[in-house]
Amino acid sequence: MSIENYDYIREMAEKSIRADGRKENDRRNLVIKTGVINHSDGSAYLELGGTKVLAGVKILPGEPFPDRADEGGLIVNFEASELASNYQSDRIMYSVEVGRVTDRGIRESNLIDMKKLVIEVGKKVLFVYIDIFALNNEGNLLDAANMAALTALLDAKYKVEGSEEKIQLPLNHEKLSISHTFAKIGNTILYDPSLPEENLADARLSIAVSDKVNSMQKGKVGFFTPEEVDYCVGKAFELKHENKTLLMHHTKK
Amino acid sequence: MYEERFDKRAFDELRPMEAETGLIANANGSARFRIGNTEAIAAVYGPQEVKPKHFEKVDRGIIVCKYDMMPFSVPDRAKPGFDRRDMEISDVITNALSRAILLKEFPRSMIDVRVYVSQADAGTRCASLTAASMACADAGLPMRDLVAAVAAGKIGDSVCLDLTKEEEDFHEGGATDVPIAFLPSKNEIVLLQLDGKVSREDLKKIIEMGKLGAHKIYELEKKALKRRFSNES
Repeated sequence: MSIENYDYIREMAEKSIRADGRKENDRRNLVIKTGVINHSDGSAYLELGGTKVLAGVKILPGEPFPDRADEGGLIVNFEASELASNYQSDRIMYSVEVGRVTDRGIRESNLIDMKKLVIEVGKKVLFVYIDIFALNNEGNLLDAANMAALTALLDAKYKVEGSEEKIQLPLNHEKLSISHTFAKIGNTILYDPSLPEENLADARLSIAVSDKVNSMQKGKVGFFTPEEVDYCVGKAFELKHENKTLLMHHTKK
Repeated sequence: MYEERFDKRAFDELRPMEAETGLIANANGSARFRIGNTEAIAAVYGPQEVKPKHFEKVDRGIIVCKYDMMPFSVPDRAKPGFDRRDMEISDVITNALSRAILLKEFPRSMIDVRVYVSQADAGTRCASLTAASMACADAGLPMRDLVAAVAAGKIGDSVCLDLTKEEEDFHEGGATDVPIAFLPSKNEIVLLQLDGKVSREDLKKIIEMGKLGAHKIYELEKKALKRRFSNES
């Protein structure tokens, strides 16, 4: 997209008009498929508008971290893969940031009961690996990655030694921490920014909420006032219900 | 002895296939190819400026191909990143594509081909090459032909087409795996590897069977590309 178009989007944003016809707090269409990777213990393919991500969960035994002998482990890895964009600098920045923010949302909400993933204290525990791949980036990878990871976790089933039956991960559904990203353009705040909106935004704020706020991440060089932050948090709690219903609906067995 | 295949297929039967192009809007061309439980996704960026600069060729373009596996694509977990196996496969795929694409048309430029395996059940390099060639066609690059790749081989005493992982690991009598890629309308082999042990006669049969398989894949590739471009008009 050219510079002129950016000006145009900025001007429209001031009047709360978006290039794709959405209202300020409209999300793009969400498409979710689960069970798409047969070698994973849980998986999800998610489209948020034109943004496409693939997430896979693997549950594997390993040695616990020395300072947490009685807990399982969580490892989140995000790759804005070379499929998704031609710009290396974008990819590296996104890979680190999106991975870490997604990790925090899941870890801090205590979604997974890590104590239940212990096989033998201090010797053997289960590790939950979440790998997320961006296949196409049309903005808001943060929310797409977060929702794909959560859906894959909800889809995850694993075998315990000595038993043939697969069991679900010990998840507390109340703690499903869903990410909501807002972009600020001038004085307008837009939910679920598209790629041009994200690129020209002054500031970006991602908020993951379950029953509490579990993680926040401000991006880009601009600023938010405390009132604006509060507004975004309020909106996130409002929007959460529909998003959560969607995620749960797609993983219902 | 291997008289009936684990998945009950005929010995010269391919696994069910799916092909789709244009799924990555950011890329100049893209494709997904699935055969049984093996799936590869490819994106093509370019022709574009050559980096690093000293790889530039004044009389033709170059292809840089990257093959990698997603961590969840295998039964355990593939460590993220580029290892020696990925390097080798990237190299053989690059060679195959270099023959297919008319590189003389792009002096001083580079075509970036990236292929990721999302699910692996043997034959990933062949699926990757097939996906990559469709992505190149989707990008509108001038090509001598599409590449159609498939693994053929011998399990026990039987010559087989499109081996699964379970078959590759068959111990009794051993298994031979021959990844093979054709430019079907030119009858040119652009990728050929072998591991195992087979006689000259058997190898001839394996290649013949690979050729038949490649032609079936070729038809599917053409269909997927036609479908895409008829939708767009």
